[in-house]
Amino acid sequence: MPPALELRDITKRFPGVVANDRVSLAVEEGEIRALVGENGAGKTTLMNILYGLDQPDEGEILIRGELCQFHSPLDAIRSGLGMVHQHFMLFPSLSVAENVVFGCEPTHSGILDQQAAQRSVAALSEDFGLQIDPRARVGSLSVGVRQRIEILKMLYRGAEILILDEPTAVLTPQERDSLFGILRALAANGKTIIFITHKLPEVLALSDSATALRDGAVTGTVRTADSDAQEMCRLMVGRDVELQVAKRSPPADSEPVLSIQNLTLPETGGRAAIRQLDLEVRAGEIVGIAGAAGNGQTELVEAIAGLRPTASGRISVQGTVTSSLSVGARRRAGQSHVPEDRDGVGLALEAPLTDNLLMGFDNHPSLAHLGILNLGAVRQHAEDLLGQFAVKTHSALESAGTLSGGNRQKLVLARELAHQASLLIAEQPTRGVDIGATEQIYELLVEYRDRGNAILLVSTDLTEILALSDRIVVMFEGELVGELPGPSATEEAVGMLMGGGGT
Amino acid sequence: MMMTGHDPLQAYGAMVRGAFGGRNAANLAATLNRAVPIVGMGLAAALAFRAGFFNIGGEGQLVLGGITGAVVALNLPLPGLLVIPLAILAAALVGGAYAWLAAFLDFRFRMPMLITTLLMIYPARLLASYLVSHPLRDAASGLTQTLRITPDAVLPKLMGTRLSSGLIVVLLLVAGAHWMIVKTRFGYRMRMTGLNARFARYGGVDVERLGYRVMFLSGATAGLVGAVQVLGVHYRYIDGSLTQPLYAWIGIMVALLAGSRPLGVLLAGLFFAAVQTGGFGMERATDVPREISQVLQALIILLVAARSRFQFGNPPESGRAN
Repeated sequence: MPPALELRDITKRFPGVVANDRVSLAVEEGEIRALVGENGAGKTTLMNILYGLDQPDEGEILIRGELCQFHSPLDAIRSGLGMVHQHFMLFPSLSVAENVVFGCEPTHSGILDQQAAQRSVAALSEDFGLQIDPRARVGSLSVGVRQRIEILKMLYRGAEILILDEPTAVLTPQERDSLFGILRALAANGKTIIFITHKLPEVLALSDSATALRDGAVTGTVRTADSDAQEMCRLMVGRDVELQVAKRSPPADSEPVLSIQNLTLPETGGRAAIRQLDLEVRAGEIVGIAGAAGNGQTELVEAIAGLRPTASGRISVQGTVTSSLSVGARRRAGQSHVPEDRDGVGLALEAPLTDNLLMGFDNHPSLAHLGILNLGAVRQHAEDLLGQFAVKTHSALESAGTLSGGNRQKLVLARELAHQASLLIAEQPTRGVDIGATEQIYELLVEYRDRGNAILLVSTDLTEILALSDRIVVMFEGELVGELPGPSATEEAVGMLMGGGGT
Repeated sequence: MMMTGHDPLQAYGAMVRGAFGGRNAANLAATLNRAVPIVGMGLAAALAFRAGFFNIGGEGQLVLGGITGAVVALNLPLPGLLVIPLAILAAALVGGAYAWLAAFLDFRFRMPMLITTLLMIYPARLLASYLVSHPLRDAASGLTQTLRITPDAVLPKLMGTRLSSGLIVVLLLVAGAHWMIVKTRFGYRMRMTGLNARFARYGGVDVERLGYRVMFLSGATAGLVGAVQVLGVHYRYIDGSLTQPLYAWIGIMVALLAGSRPLGVLLAGLFFAAVQTGGFGMERATDVPREISQVLQALIILLVAARSRFQFGNPPESGRAN
């Protein structure tokens, strides 16, 4: 039997870059294939070609052994392909059934037959165990359920091959697990699934096999059962990647850099965001705050940074009480901050890199004198930082929005580390960043610690907390519910505390 | 143009001559003089927009500046050389303070500037109307206007031309604003706040303090334009003379078209002035009504606005402080 989908020597060139270089792969019916690769490896281009959004310069697409040419997504859909995009394309104000049948509605003399639509959507949902109420309004449903509606849409159109582009990026761990269950059930029913990601644990957990892309070319296809994360990582990145860093305890005599006493934040939505919190971070250590998203970590960081008023309690940095100071004064007291919302807070995307890297340095005597900027020095400052932190750009005058996610993160990190503040608050420092860049960021953070600075790491990614922290504190519903030494902490122990269960 | 039954070439030719031609380039002078308040008010709007604060009440600040300039020039018993700068300075202070008040209401009481600046036009306009109708009225003339300012206390024409010396003032303002935005720390903070206020705040910019200063500068520019018009064109405050030509509103369009860049404001302001004086010329030379030039102006705005939005991304946003 011919493979459900076969690509032969797909090549696509864009001006100055070969996005896909003779990519070949074959996926069997009922198989779950992971397509892995770092940002910019050519995964998205390949899928756009497969889905008819882009035409290949060379190469062939075969569906069940038949040569196909897709000039638009409609052609692809007709051949049984379905794509679930990262950003959902749904009408929030319509019902599930109306969303699913949109485009090929059952009608009765020109009027949408609601009954028929609901019946067929309910049946489909039942068949594949999706558990969706066809009458619910999409706007009222969670992200995880919306994603299932997208899958349902594809199934309704008769898709046999489902392509999912980074489907877990927006999901909670629970939603992710239930998505995986659904995908396995679909595969068991003979659907073929292509799953684009750069998260290796997900590849290992879900896929039957994985194809790795690097710089537009296939670097290997492996059976998941016969492979491991190390091998896949090598295929993706081209070398061994070390995400484990040397843990250590700070010297016994090191001074507390950040100390928080009795911090309470005013209520948000009925309950205190943070109650009576005490925390200390000493020079030369990385303290990781673990916790599921929404347990007060964001509020805590905003309070330390000066972006949110505190109700009571005391925050001090390097001996200066900062609780009532402005953001600028707090930064001068010796803190810098890599924010969670990189694009919305950490950068001005429309501004050039020079301006983005100048923030906070515009008082520096070498860059501004009597309020007048030395534009040459500003440019030099930016170029130095871009070089030092290996941010990939053409020019320091490019706008920040043109950079990839990983490079934007390095841009923020470069600026904040360059302040050489004794306290760095790093929120989700590698969210949406690929493995190669993650490794670099880890190295930078550890090196910063080793120079005797204190780092407060906040992450909802448990792997990251475990990899980096010298000490781990767990936050649950606005309180610190436990503390573990970094080197000996296990995922289970932290996970228990994260759920609110004491030890 | 053809729809209204006119020869387009002839009409547009008349328009160009109306904007730039005339004996001794009189029409060019008229265009430049008209550009003074338009560019000035464009700059006033652009200063606020660039930092993301929506001052659309330039008209109120303009009127208060105008009446302040007239009052000072009429009453200050000093030589003209001193009276002129003092009158302009006072006008700028009053206009700036009025816009500052809108910022205060926003930051302190969460009243959106977008609304307060707009509403504050009315008290300003009515106060000025009252003053020229009653206490300050030139009773001898039948019009609602103040007394004429003595010749030594008015802005002179530029040597041997019909050009108002307000032109120089506005050019200096444009150059100064450009320098400030591009070269100074304050301008840098303005730009960053305008592009992403959350970024600026996170980076340590005191956005409120910046907002007060920017609104003051914006209002001061508007007030100054009011005084320049009074001292350089009308030589008295005439009721409606600053509001009827819609300078403040055209200024807002100019600022939006120019992406709030001062040099762009200069170009766009000159262009608008040319279309307007050209429209008068067209009406004199042909029987195409002046309204056609307004239609033309509107069409150009729509076309350029569509394109500039496409090129420059989003125009400045409103109500930032909330």
